[in-house]
Amino acid sequence: MSDKFSAALRIGDLNDFIAPSQACIVSLKGSKTNTFKSDNKPQVSIAKKQVQSEPVKISLKDCLACSGCVTSAETVMLEKQSLDEFLSNVDKGKAVIVSLSPQSRASLAVHFDISPLQVFKKLTRFFKSLGVKAVFDTSCSRDLTLVESCMEFMARYRQNQLVDDERSKSSLPMIASACPGWVCYAEKQLGSFVLPNISKVKSPQQTIGTIIKHYLCQDMGVRPEEVYHVTVMPCYDKKLEAARDDFVFQLGSHDEGHGSDVNMISEVDSVLTTGEVLELIQLKDVDFKSLEEDPLDRLLTNINEEGYLYGVRGSSGGYAETIFRYAAKTLFGRQIDGPLNFRNIRNSDFQEVTLEVEGKTVLRFALCYGFRNLQNVVRKLKTGKCDYHFLEIMACPSGCLNGGGQIKPKTGQSPKELSQLLETVYMENVWEAEPFDNPTVRDLYDKWLEQPGSEKAQRFMHTQYHPVEKSITSQLQNW
Amino acid sequence: MGMAIESMELNEVETLEGHTDRVWSLDWNPATGHSGIPLLFASSSGDKTVRVWEQNTLSSNRFTCKAVLDETHTRTVRSCAWSPSGKLLATASFDATTALWENVGGEFECVSTLEGHENEVKSVCWNASGNLLATCSRDKSVWIWEVQQGNDVECVSVLQGHTQDVKMVKWHPTMDVLFSCSYDNTIKVWADEGESDDWQCVQTLGEPNKGHTSTVWSISFNASGNKMVTCSDDLTLKVWETENIELQSAGEFAPWRHLYTLTDYHDRTIFSVHWSREGILASGAADNAIRLFVDNNESEVDGPMFKLLLKKEKAHDMDINCVQWSPGEKPLLASASDDGTIKVWELAS
Repeated sequence: MSDKFSAALRIGDLNDFIAPSQACIVSLKGSKTNTFKSDNKPQVSIAKKQVQSEPVKISLKDCLACSGCVTSAETVMLEKQSLDEFLSNVDKGKAVIVSLSPQSRASLAVHFDISPLQVFKKLTRFFKSLGVKAVFDTSCSRDLTLVESCMEFMARYRQNQLVDDERSKSSLPMIASACPGWVCYAEKQLGSFVLPNISKVKSPQQTIGTIIKHYLCQDMGVRPEEVYHVTVMPCYDKKLEAARDDFVFQLGSHDEGHGSDVNMISEVDSVLTTGEVLELIQLKDVDFKSLEEDPLDRLLTNINEEGYLYGVRGSSGGYAETIFRYAAKTLFGRQIDGPLNFRNIRNSDFQEVTLEVEGKTVLRFALCYGFRNLQNVVRKLKTGKCDYHFLEIMACPSGCLNGGGQIKPKTGQSPKELSQLLETVYMENVWEAEPFDNPTVRDLYDKWLEQPGSEKAQRFMHTQYHPVEKSITSQLQNW
Repeated sequence: MGMAIESMELNEVETLEGHTDRVWSLDWNPATGHSGIPLLFASSSGDKTVRVWEQNTLSSNRFTCKAVLDETHTRTVRSCAWSPSGKLLATASFDATTALWENVGGEFECVSTLEGHENEVKSVCWNASGNLLATCSRDKSVWIWEVQQGNDVECVSVLQGHTQDVKMVKWHPTMDVLFSCSYDNTIKVWADEGESDDWQCVQTLGEPNKGHTSTVWSISFNASGNKMVTCSDDLTLKVWETENIELQSAGEFAPWRHLYTLTDYHDRTIFSVHWSREGILASGAADNAIRLFVDNNESEVDGPMFKLLLKKEKAHDMDINCVQWSPGEKPLLASASDDGTIKVWELAS
């Protein structure tokens, strides 16, 4: 397993000690060949396999369905595939759309020592010079994700308050669904007990994919199969998210994930990491810093009339913060101005914010980043000692700005220094704005999704999770 | 060693039977063997149980099985470790869990279960102050846990770095510095350095550092904690030393370096090594023999740093998985074997 994926994925999939082939549905080459004494005596002797010279192809879909592993060889192949595939689709004359995450923007801004807004404009120039039709902003779709998440939270909170049975109890805490590393870990390792708690709302990546392929194409009279949609993300795990069956639909019907492969449309066709975009810039021999700046595509971008970027605070998406403010106002009539008072619990990656009404704690939200903190929350959930209403869980320490796909620290720069720099740069040129006030989001509701939380909005914006059954081979291996 | 070491013998005190499968590990309770408290140890086995053995009286050569800890682990119990106070016992199992046991009125009760490892947990160890636990697994990760009041346990860190199965974790005897050894042939040193608030690997001792060339199975420290010994499938024992372990408390890391390799003594895999407070190294190996080594302090400058004190052939009928010296003034040696028995030994001249 490549160390580029998040720790949660790595820990969840580490099964290649004896050989990946035992759990994997596709046979792979080369494990350690020298003899060894296994702790698991008596040892079953494994016949030495011929070393295969042909690389074996495994799709990300195979990996998602399997409780085995992704090995480094395939990961290398996947990375190559992404850049090559991207370039070949541009050449094929498809309408290529790029959706850029604000975390990737910040990473490139720090790397080139320019502002995030400059990065956005220069990247627009760069991608368009390659033939890309439009460059959008996932902080725009994230506002839609956040609005729908607020609606879901209210429904869960009310269910939890009204009825007093076991089923209703499991409606809280609600857990953010934006981190694919966490979702994958939960599906593969934790099974059904935690999945009902994960927010049903799609991540910003899949939300913008849905907007583009389901709505925008129709609106602009373009066939969705003619559009090749690429996202730029701070995270390798996002590649796995884009490959989920849940995010593929058949043309002309809304039965997602069913039917033959013919005319199957992916919401997101390919994911490039920030690091891969930097690689592309270098590959094209472009002097990025002095590149001209193109105007931004306003259609799905959080940019206001004055030319300022806007969005929510919170470099991992601001889920806890946005929902907390909304719930405080809607449920308890408390308007909270200024920053929320997050307190460190164990470390800076585990923070809590509470709302007290008449001496009683009525809302308890937490940010929980990194695998060690994730473990403790899972432990609390398992033992029924989790009294949080909402958890913003992210698999990476320091959250999404520190995602595995971000540009690595420069020589002499400590990861901590880089992380602090990214936090500062992240909100540079960005006006804090309420997702409910986002004119693009309002427009999408008016013209397409009706109301926040409407049946139609749920149909397009909700997804589901599936516990991965342990395969017999992986069970045997772990016997 | 002021005595005539050439004439020393390792005499069997008792053979303890009871486990119905191979015995993987044993651990002497550090709070016993002195102050009038009879010696006590725990052993863990492929039969999914842990047994607790107690010396009948402090000077007696008889041990009795006081408790069988069963119906908790569903697979082999690979390792066990007493907390420094001797009040809690941690057991690591192939069922991917680690259990904490407390002696409540003579009965051992499972008071906590630590889940998180993807598969077989291979080893468990307490730090010197007894508030931290480390575990390692075939999933290649090392986990650090904090044991809080009421036996509540929280995960402090999940450490990735080894590229293969991690065989053993061992805390430094005085400092909160953790050592792990692996099927990837390396020993890794982990510390909680000031800069970040998480643990990280501060040193890797591998082949380029004159380290082992095959699986490293076990680690043990000398009494003062400035030296450690490791044993390996490469048929050697290696002694490592650090300049100034106290530096560690000042937030600085004192690196370890290779000091000496004991080679040509073993011809099968060495699974276990333990350094007594008196300075005697005991090794247990796949050739069913126990070997004892001592500091060769009469030697000339270029001579060997350690020499073989004795070799006990056929100590067991099968592989020896674990050897450990007891606490107390006159330490006994205990050995655990694939033959399903534990033997207690006395070193006599």
